[in-house]
Amino acid sequence: MTTSASIVTTRLKIGMEIHVELATKSKMFSRSANLAHPDHYDAAPNSLVDPMVAALPGVLPVMNKQAVEMAMMVGIALGCTIARVSKWDRKNYFYPDLPKGYQISQYDLPLCCDGELHIPGADGTTKRIGIIRAHLEEDTGKLGHELPGGKPYNGSLVDLNRAGTPLLEIVTHPDLESAQDAVTFGKELRNLCRFLGVSEGIMQRGHMRFEPNVNVIIRTDDGNEFATPIVEIKNLNSFRALRGAIEHEHKRQVEAWAEEGVVQATGLKSTRGWDDARLITVLQREKEEADDYRYFPDPDLIPVVVSDEWRQNVAARIPELPMQRRRRYQEQYKLSAKDALALTDDRDPCMFYEQCVDACVAGRGSQAQVGSACAKLLLNAGAKRANERGCGVHELGISPGQVAQIIELRDQEAIGSTAADELFGLLCDSDDNAQAVAEQHGLLQVRDEGQLDRWCEAAIEAQPQAADDFRSGKAAAIGRLVGQVMKVSRGQADAKAAKEKLTQKLGRG
Amino acid sequence: MDDNQSILGLVEALKHREISAVQLVQDCFEGIEQLDEKLHCFHETYPHRALQAAESIDGALEAGDEPGPLAGVPIALKDNIVTSFGHTTCSSRILEDFNSPYTSTAAQRLIDAGAIVIGKTNCDEFAMGSSTEHCAFGEVCNPWDLTRVPGGSSGGSAAAVAARLCPGALGSDTGGSIRQPASLCGVVGVKPSYGRVSRFGLVAFGSSLDQIGPLARCVKDAAWLLRIIAGPDRRDSTCADLAVPDYLNGIDQPPENLRIGVPKQYLSDKNEPAVNEAVYSAIELYRDLGAEIVDIDLPLTEYGVATYYVIAPAEASSNLARYDGIRYGRRAPLEPGEDLFDLYAKSRAEGFGPEVKRRIMLGTYVLSAGYYDAYYKRALQVRRLIKQEFDAAFEKCHALLGPTSPAPAFEIGAKADPLSMYLCDVYTANTNIAGICGISIPAGFAKVDGKHLPIGLQIQCKAFDEATMFRIARMFEASTDYHTKRPPGIGDAVMRGV
Repeated sequence: MTTSASIVTTRLKIGMEIHVELATKSKMFSRSANLAHPDHYDAAPNSLVDPMVAALPGVLPVMNKQAVEMAMMVGIALGCTIARVSKWDRKNYFYPDLPKGYQISQYDLPLCCDGELHIPGADGTTKRIGIIRAHLEEDTGKLGHELPGGKPYNGSLVDLNRAGTPLLEIVTHPDLESAQDAVTFGKELRNLCRFLGVSEGIMQRGHMRFEPNVNVIIRTDDGNEFATPIVEIKNLNSFRALRGAIEHEHKRQVEAWAEEGVVQATGLKSTRGWDDARLITVLQREKEEADDYRYFPDPDLIPVVVSDEWRQNVAARIPELPMQRRRRYQEQYKLSAKDALALTDDRDPCMFYEQCVDACVAGRGSQAQVGSACAKLLLNAGAKRANERGCGVHELGISPGQVAQIIELRDQEAIGSTAADELFGLLCDSDDNAQAVAEQHGLLQVRDEGQLDRWCEAAIEAQPQAADDFRSGKAAAIGRLVGQVMKVSRGQADAKAAKEKLTQKLGRG
Repeated sequence: MDDNQSILGLVEALKHREISAVQLVQDCFEGIEQLDEKLHCFHETYPHRALQAAESIDGALEAGDEPGPLAGVPIALKDNIVTSFGHTTCSSRILEDFNSPYTSTAAQRLIDAGAIVIGKTNCDEFAMGSSTEHCAFGEVCNPWDLTRVPGGSSGGSAAAVAARLCPGALGSDTGGSIRQPASLCGVVGVKPSYGRVSRFGLVAFGSSLDQIGPLARCVKDAAWLLRIIAGPDRRDSTCADLAVPDYLNGIDQPPENLRIGVPKQYLSDKNEPAVNEAVYSAIELYRDLGAEIVDIDLPLTEYGVATYYVIAPAEASSNLARYDGIRYGRRAPLEPGEDLFDLYAKSRAEGFGPEVKRRIMLGTYVLSAGYYDAYYKRALQVRRLIKQEFDAAFEKCHALLGPTSPAPAFEIGAKADPLSMYLCDVYTANTNIAGICGISIPAGFAKVDGKHLPIGLQIQCKAFDEATMFRIARMFEASTDYHTKRPPGIGDAVMRGV
């Protein structure tokens, strides 16, 4: 250790490079079908290959306009400046997964520059993460060492299905300060891409890959600050790996500094990989080697010129984004920040929620009223079952129309909250009308005075202590009795009416 | 000239059933049989396929159908233009057994027009050279003197047309590779404006410079071929979205108020005297025909070769990276213990010839960190200046006149020093650098050791003004008979059916 001072604080400084595979129909520079498009997820090896993908002699790349527009959508959603002129460059290196011997990328004139993403904190505040640039390139193929069916193969097999898939590389400023920030950023970006419809964001399929650049600012009790050398962690393709790698680096870099005292300097950047089994990062390359990719403008492609008209046209196709919906839910539906966040953190459940709201409005009622009611139902009854079944709330089988019917029954006070929850569960497995199912299962509130009287009698009998307490002036004891009424009535009693009846019966009315 | 021998003459004769396509194709193969053992123009021929195609064309013509503007015309392709039949080797060991699954746009347009592809012609490996000596399968000889080169890199195509083995051919021109062999073999060769002809299916050498173009025995034939292969192609982003004019329309009318520019740099005393004499005669002829001759100064001419030999190898070093032995082409066997690097190194060492290796190294060097600015970036700057210099020149004249090559055909093996070979491109490279069009037409002969060696006249016009270029070329051709001369021994026996 170079100093005798002791560490007061350690602060992570993280910048990220994120690769997003765009779900275009065809590849970045050829007509071949795209592996990242849902129609082709499970294509047999080397079945998404044409002469361009295989880099046969004489082929030429032709830019996929859809990929450029998707990249523009992400750029615009991130508040980036869309370059009026950007161009394509060749990044030259040899590897068997790179058929042309170069990757077409954007070197010094990227499509999108200078943006930001505000990531939500748990407390409802947000943190601004600066975006340096976002550029388009093509993905590589894959090397495997197993035959189809999993038999080991003594050699390398090249699968070019992924080669040429459009990739959007997004580079952030080092504004992230914790593993949680990095994960939140990653999830928020994935969600943004899903709302924009540019990527399904399925991590297991490699639709998103993260490369955090991590170092630690160490403050010592003698007032000095030290920055540890930057480490780039390659190719993390799960949020778990992202979190684990950063947390491990935080610890490791502080320990390394304490032992060796090495601080950040030019050329000291190293590259590490994440070992998913041992949960540690592993050194891949010691020093920043002078990689020479011999970038130069690709003479086969013409520059991308984005007119105001084109940009505006693409911008007009951007749907309401998660952060905007969040704000609207809070303002319009008076939802809490927490609930608004929960409803928007995934596209499909969020869309389902909005369909439910629309179905309620179509039935009757104002958006402001039903927005809150739908949110409560989905975040309680819905979330509980989605969790049980390991799926999204939109995949439970209940339709937005049925959700609207439950809300309506609640509003008419035809069912209580317990019954509503039970009804929600029943409708997940039924296409019938909510009213019919509620009747069939006896969930509708009973307004029969005699029946209510009998339930109250039974409750007092079952909870004599509570009845005595109430009689002797403990007002709160009524709750236990009402609960007992609801229990014996299986939710069919109207809790308010039960409370009145009990109060009356116990002589305090 | 004997119109019967031109492509246009053949098209008419075929249409009127004066000859049959089958007879024509058979004649071609007979000529190839007789002469190509010595000339070595063809890497491979497709007699079976060609005869089948000829039969079907004859059938269509007999039936009174219109099988296209080139119906029944035999055409040769340079071996760097891919076809879904036969091999496409680029005269390289690394692609010795390569079969393309698809056909290039230019070849497909010829085929769609009824042309019959008779074979693939030898060239300098990957079109890198000016002599067709750098051909992995043996050099091509000049029909005018078998001890001399035909020029290059489209030497096989030029020699085949000169020797009457076929009436027309396609070549590719990156720095003069159509025009210089056309000049050395005494035929017409056209380098179209960059973007005039789709490069889809042309094996890339220098992508920002490469163009496919025709070689033929007269200007009208070349114009006819160009019109068929040119035009927009969605598979090539650099192909211009411009309609192609009917070049034959008005081709015999000289442009009005014609001004012909003669850059003083083109008549260097380093040229062979016979070459300069031919150009002076041409200038006089144009003057006699009523053209105004304008003195032009193109001081950047001398920087063309240097600029070219930075840009073209840079692009080539990247374009040729795909020949790695992984997916297709030559793969060297590995010894135990050897790894991926050895696979690359050995396959490429075995597969590429010395000139290709030299240019890959040169191109890799000029793109490397620390050298990029001094070489590649500087070359792009000079390129812009050269373009501007041409733009300014074309404000003053319709066309620039000069020699295609500083000298007629040289002896095989005479230019062992690469630099002296590179200097063959001094008058042609800038056409590609500026993206303008150029044509070489027969304009005389140099008498060397009792042999007649053709001399070519180059006419360059501004980008996409091929129509004017053809009219100006046609003025000269209509007043001279150089294009009708045949190499010695290439007589009536060949293509007697014509």
